[in-house]
Amino acid sequence: MIYALRVFAAQLHTALVLTTTYRAEMILWALSGTLPIILMGVWGEAARTGAMPYTPVEMVRYFVAVLVVRQLTFVWVIWEFEEEVVTGRLSSLLLRPIDPVWNYVANHLAERLARLPMIALLVGLCFWLHPEAIFVPSPAVAATALGVTALSFIVRFLLQYTLAMACFVVERASSLESLSFIAFVFLSGMLAPLDLYPAWVANLAAWTPFPYFVYVPAQILVGADVDVPRAVGLLFVWGALLLIAQRWAWRRGVSRYSAMGA
Amino acid sequence: MLQAESLGKTYRVAEKESGMAGTLRHVFRRKTRDVHAVRDVTFHVAEGEFVGFIGANGAGKTTTLKMLSGLIRPSHGRVRVANFDPFRRQRAFLRQITLIMGQKQQLIWDLPAIDTLRINAAVYELERGEAERRVAELAEMLDVARLLTTPVRKLSLGERMKCELLAALLHHPRVLFLDEPTLGLDINAQEAIRGFLELYNQRYGATVLLTSHYMADITALCSRVLIIHEGSLLYDGSLTEIVERLMPSREIELHLAEPVPREVLAEFGEVSQLEGTSASLVVERSQVQRSVVAIFDRLRPIDLFVKEPAIERVIAPLLKGQGLGTP
Amino acid sequence: MKALARTIWLFWTTSLLAELEYRTNFAFSLLTSALNLVASLFTLSLFFRYDAELGGWSWGEAVMVLGTFTILQGFSATLLQPNLNRIVEHVRQGTLDFVLLKPIDTQLWLSLRRVSPWGLPDVLLGVGIVVYGAALGDVTWRGAIMGLGCLACSLVILYALWFMMAATTVWFVQIYNVTELLRALLDAGRFPIDAFPRGAYRFVFTFVVPVAFMTTVPVRALLGDASGPGLLAAFGLAATLAWAARALLHYALRDYTSASS
Repeated sequence: MIYALRVFAAQLHTALVLTTTYRAEMILWALSGTLPIILMGVWGEAARTGAMPYTPVEMVRYFVAVLVVRQLTFVWVIWEFEEEVVTGRLSSLLLRPIDPVWNYVANHLAERLARLPMIALLVGLCFWLHPEAIFVPSPAVAATALGVTALSFIVRFLLQYTLAMACFVVERASSLESLSFIAFVFLSGMLAPLDLYPAWVANLAAWTPFPYFVYVPAQILVGADVDVPRAVGLLFVWGALLLIAQRWAWRRGVSRYSAMGA
Repeated sequence: MLQAESLGKTYRVAEKESGMAGTLRHVFRRKTRDVHAVRDVTFHVAEGEFVGFIGANGAGKTTTLKMLSGLIRPSHGRVRVANFDPFRRQRAFLRQITLIMGQKQQLIWDLPAIDTLRINAAVYELERGEAERRVAELAEMLDVARLLTTPVRKLSLGERMKCELLAALLHHPRVLFLDEPTLGLDINAQEAIRGFLELYNQRYGATVLLTSHYMADITALCSRVLIIHEGSLLYDGSLTEIVERLMPSREIELHLAEPVPREVLAEFGEVSQLEGTSASLVVERSQVQRSVVAIFDRLRPIDLFVKEPAIERVIAPLLKGQGLGTP
Repeated sequence: MKALARTIWLFWTTSLLAELEYRTNFAFSLLTSALNLVASLFTLSLFFRYDAELGGWSWGEAVMVLGTFTILQGFSATLLQPNLNRIVEHVRQGTLDFVLLKPIDTQLWLSLRRVSPWGLPDVLLGVGIVVYGAALGDVTWRGAIMGLGCLACSLVILYALWFMMAATTVWFVQIYNVTELLRALLDAGRFPIDAFPRGAYRFVFTFVVPVAFMTTVPVRALLGDASGPGLLAAFGLAATLAWAARALLHYALRDYTSASS
C-alpha cells in the first residue's frame, strides 16, 4: 500500500513537471473552454426579455459556475488510452507493478493543478464582462460544491475510461466518446439550466449520470437549493456500476490484448 | 552547375536556465546567443559530379545541403544551382531538383506506392505514357516492380526506401540532394541503393550531393568529398588524396607457421598487433613492396594481406578537429 | 490549369481512399452530425419557448444562422482540419521540406492536399436547415444570390483565420492547438450577433474574431436586410484576410529552420 502510494507520488511528480513543458498547449486547451462565456452572454440577454424563471444575474452566475465545474471535471483519458493501445505502449505500462489507470489519474490531477490559474483568469473575465453578477460563495457552499465536483470528476473519469475499454476491440473507440459527448453536452446542463428543459427531457436526463456532472455541482455553487445527499448517493451508485463494468471489460480486454502478441 | 560563395547560416538561439527562477528571468531578460551552423563555405560543383559531404553530427552538412536545395535562407553569401537562386524556389528550379532524406518519407503511408507516383506525375506535369515508361524503367533499376501495388506500410524499411527513391526521381531531376539516404538500412539494402545511385548518375549524368555517416556510401560513390567541421569547410578534393595525406601507410596482416618474437617482426615495420601466429604491421606506403618481399624471404608466412587503413580511422581525427597537418 | 485540376483530383481521390481504409465512419459521422444538430435546434427552441427576443430574430431567421454555422462547421471538418491542422505535423517530422520543394504553390498544397468526407453530413444538414428556415420566411432570388456571395466570403474568412493560426506553428510548434481556440470562439456563430449583449461581446465577435461576418451577415443578406456598406465590409474583410494569410506564410517560410537530420 505504501509502495503503491510512493509510485503514485512519483507519477504525479513527473506529470507536474510535464505540465510546465507543455504549458503553451495547456493554456490553449484551458482557454478553449469558452462556450459557457458565450452562452452566458446570450442567455443573460434572453433572460432580460423573456419569461423564464431566472433573472439575468442568476443566468450569468449559473454559467460562471458551469465554467468552473466544467474546467475542473474535464476528462480526456480515452484519447490517451487509445493512443497507447494503438502504438503498443500499453505493453510497457502493463509490465509495471501498478495498474496503468494511476498513470492517467496522475496526468489528470497534475493538469488540473496547473490549470487553476487559467480558471481564475476565465472567471475574472466573466466578472469583468458582467460586473453585476459578481458573487463569492460562502465557505460551506464552496466546500460542498467542491466535494460534489470532485466526485463527479471521478465518475466522469470512470465513464470515459470504461468506454475506453472498447479500444481493445474496435479500431477507433473514440467515436463512442463522440456520441457520449453529445449526450453529455445536451443533458448535463451545459447548454442551459436543466429546469428550463421540457419535463420529459429532464426526466430522461435524470436516468443518466450526466446532470450530476455539471448541472448539480453548478447549482450547488450558485447557492441554489439542491438535494445534496441524494446527488452524492446517485453519484456513488453510478460510480459503483461503472467501476464494475470497467473492471470486467479491463480483464477481458487485457487478456485479449496479450493473446494477440502485444 | 552549383556554386556556393561564402555561404553561411547563423541561428539566434535563446538561452534559458532550467527551473522556475530561470523561466522567470527569461521572461524579463532574454539572453540569446548566435549559433554559426555554417561559416563561409565556398565550393563549385560541375554537372554530373558525385560529391560527398562528410562531417560529425551537427557539423553543418545538412544545413548546407538545405541551403543548396532552397529550404533555408542563407544568412550571408551567395548560392546558385542550375543558374537559379534556390531560395526563391521557382517552379522551373524545383522541377530540376529532388531531395531525398533517410528515415523521412513522402510516400502516402496507407496506400500503395503507385498512388504517390501518380500524384508526383501530375505535380511534375508528366504525360501518362511518359510517366508509365519512367516508372517501369526506374522500377527495374531498383528491382521494386512487384512492390508498387503493396500498401507502403507493409513494406520493409529497405523496400520503402527504394520506392521513395523512385518517387523522388520520377521527374528525372538534374540535381539530387541526398541526406543520409541509407540511414537505418541493412547491408543488402544499402548496397542495392548504392548500386542504383551509381547507375543513375552514370545513365542520366545527374549531379549528386550526398551526406552520409556511412563511409561505405562515400567510398563507393563519391570521387570528391567535402569535409565540414563546425560549419567550416576543411577539405575539398578527392577522397583517396585525403586518405593518402592523412595516413600515408598500409597495414600488412601476416599469418605465420610458428610464433615469431616481436623484436624480429619490428624489423619489417611498426607492430600494431601480435597474437600467437597472427600479426599486423603498419608500413609506409612507399616501403610496402620492399617490406613484402623481405617478409616472404625471411619469415615465410602462410598468408599475407596488404590492407588499406579503415577510412573511418583516417578521417576521425579530422572530424574531431585535429586539423589536416602538413601534406 | 488543367494540370492543376488533375493534381487536385488526385490529391482528393488518394486522400479519400486512405480515409476509407477506416470504413466504419461515414454512417457514424452522419449520426453524430444529425444528433448535434438536433441538440442545437432544441437549445435554440428553448429561447423561443420562454419568449426571449434573441435580438429581434424570429425562429426561422435564427435557425438559418444555426444552419450557416453548421455549414461552416462541415467545411472546417472537410477541408480545414484535415489540411491545416496537419501543418504542425509536417514541421515536427520534417516532411514540410518535401512540400516546399514540390513545383506547386506551397499554400495550395498545404490547404488542399486532403479532403475528409466526414464533414460532408454537416454541410448537407446545414444547407437543409437554411432552406427550411428560408421557406418559413420569404426569400427572394436576389437575396439568395447575395446570401451565397456572403457565404463564400465567410468560407474565405474562416479559411484565412484558420490558416494564419496554423501557420504560426512554423515558428512555435508548441501552440499547435491554437486552432482549437478558434473553433471554440466560433461557437458564438450559432447565434445571431444581435442576441449578444452590447459592448464587449459584440465588439469581439465582430472585430476580433469576426464571427458576425461569418454567420449573421450571410443570413441578413439572404433576407434582403444587408446594407451596402455591410456587404462591402464582408468582401473587404475576406479579401484582406486572404492576402494576410498568404503574406504570413511567406514571412514564416523566410525564417524556416527545418529539422536537423
